[in-house]
Amino acid sequence: MGVILEVKNLTKKFGGLTAVNDFSFEIKRGEFLGLIGPNGAGKTTVFNLISGFEKPSSGSIRFDGVDITGLKPYKIVNLGIARTFQLVRSFKFLTLLDNVSVSCLSKRGKKISKKIGTDEYASSILGSIGLVDKARIPPVILPHGDLRRLQIGKAIGSNPELLLLDEPFSGLSFEEQLGITNLIKKLHEDGVTIFITGHVLRELMTLVPRVLAMHQGKLIADGPPLEVANNKIVLEAYLGRGAEFA
Amino acid sequence: MSVINKMEGMSRNLKKAHKKLIGFPSYFKDWSTTFKGGVTLFCLLILFIFPIMTQNPYYLDIFVLAMIYSIFAASWDFLAGFTGQVSFGHAIFFGISGYYVSATLVFNNFSWWAALIVGVIIAVFVGFIIGIICLRMKGPYLALGTMTIGLMFMNLYRIGPFKKYLWGDEGITAVPALSTNAIVVYYTTLIFMIISIIIMLRITKTNMGTIFKSIRDDETGSGASGINTTKYKVIAFMISSLFAGLAGGFFVMYNRSVGPLIFQPYYSFIILIMTALGGIATISGSALGAFTFVLLTEALRDLKELDPTNVFLDAFSHPAFVFSILLILIIRFASEGILKSALEKLKDLWDVLLGR
Repeated sequence: MGVILEVKNLTKKFGGLTAVNDFSFEIKRGEFLGLIGPNGAGKTTVFNLISGFEKPSSGSIRFDGVDITGLKPYKIVNLGIARTFQLVRSFKFLTLLDNVSVSCLSKRGKKISKKIGTDEYASSILGSIGLVDKARIPPVILPHGDLRRLQIGKAIGSNPELLLLDEPFSGLSFEEQLGITNLIKKLHEDGVTIFITGHVLRELMTLVPRVLAMHQGKLIADGPPLEVANNKIVLEAYLGRGAEFA
Repeated sequence: MSVINKMEGMSRNLKKAHKKLIGFPSYFKDWSTTFKGGVTLFCLLILFIFPIMTQNPYYLDIFVLAMIYSIFAASWDFLAGFTGQVSFGHAIFFGISGYYVSATLVFNNFSWWAALIVGVIIAVFVGFIIGIICLRMKGPYLALGTMTIGLMFMNLYRIGPFKKYLWGDEGITAVPALSTNAIVVYYTTLIFMIISIIIMLRITKTNMGTIFKSIRDDETGSGASGINTTKYKVIAFMISSLFAGLAGGFFVMYNRSVGPLIFQPYYSFIILIMTALGGIATISGSALGAFTFVLLTEALRDLKELDPTNVFLDAFSHPAFVFSILLILIIRFASEGILKSALEKLKDLWDVLLGR
């Protein structure tokens, strides 16, 4: 089980603001990793840098030994990394089936679509996310929970090895969170490496065996959830100075 | 190993095509019994028997112009309505094809279909270039950029210094018609219009069509799904410019001449009006809009004659005036175009008449 993602000294500056500061970590193939941090810590920026939506100011990202720093998003998808977005986005005027079909038609997804057919592939994905009965419906009338599922469905169409989930639980009711959790667990069991951010801490901390904590662009902790949760610096980041006395 | 995979893939495609071919008669039967299919067939029937009802070349000409504009407007709808790339300079492809169809007809004695092939190839090439130039432009910038390039072409083909190569102000005159027989012209144009629209419609229903629509709905999301949006935007431009060029070729044979004014914003904008009338992202709606535009313009033309002193009649006999108002009304009250709502109302009426 080798290293699937290697991030070294990743830095991103937006003018005077350093959003990501000398960030380094590794993910092993098949891992289930979380990234926590208060709002504005830079979690989504890290995701944007890995998935190609932002170019780093400095530092490098290697996926499966290949340097992917600064590559365009679609190229990174076709190498095996897929992501979801914090704010749900969908193809408004397409049916759910077509929404999922798009990633099935990527270069990487086509390898599977060619064998079993695009519609069959997309339908099976809809089935695994529990939305197959809404296949002919456009996303505009779906509830938020279904849209979050759709996001994940759209991401797995390209058959990723590494899945970046950006705050997949936000805005969900307790039952919806359970549903998404089961879906993510199943994906992990199927062999997908999962990297997930959130600040709904309870859900995340019971889900992943290892968590990175981030604050103001810096990595401040890396370890099992219990350890990280009791880490002095992490507590200060979330609760402010004097938190250890809380 | 991969040779076997390729052969498996090919045999599967052949089986699919075979199924489609066998299925076509029943598909056609199912489609023709739907309301929309019935109405379309009815319209096509009228178009086919029109020259039998009248041989007056004046009326035949009007319909031919409408059919030419149908192809042109549909090509715009393909790019704007299905791929989300709104260009205000579609006259570029219309005109560039028009010029070289004319040139090969007049100076090289090409037959009409050989000239059309030349025009279309040039239009596609220009479509490729423009597609690449406009890659980073979105929304209002794309519209403005394409409009500016259109004006550039107009002036390029007009100014003195390039007269030797680009024919200047006078352009090319004495362009032969497709045929001296007006009926041949009519039916040829009709066939090309039907085939063009069918092809464009079929493309939108393929996987590539789904990709085009994904670019329209959320270009960033499409990239995040692994699609090379650059490649597909350029392809869309090329398909669109192909048909716009085809229309341009027919147009110069109808008009019997071509000049720099073929690049003017007028042509870029009327297809916008036609598509808005008929319904964006419908392809066939553009054809409906084209016929409405041409027929309405003709009808209004005579309005002034009723009473030359009446100011209102004079104003309304100018198409620019009428269609500007019409466009504003459509944007405000029927942004989906007239086609959809009119068809729905018609269908309701039909159901009522049949007692459903």
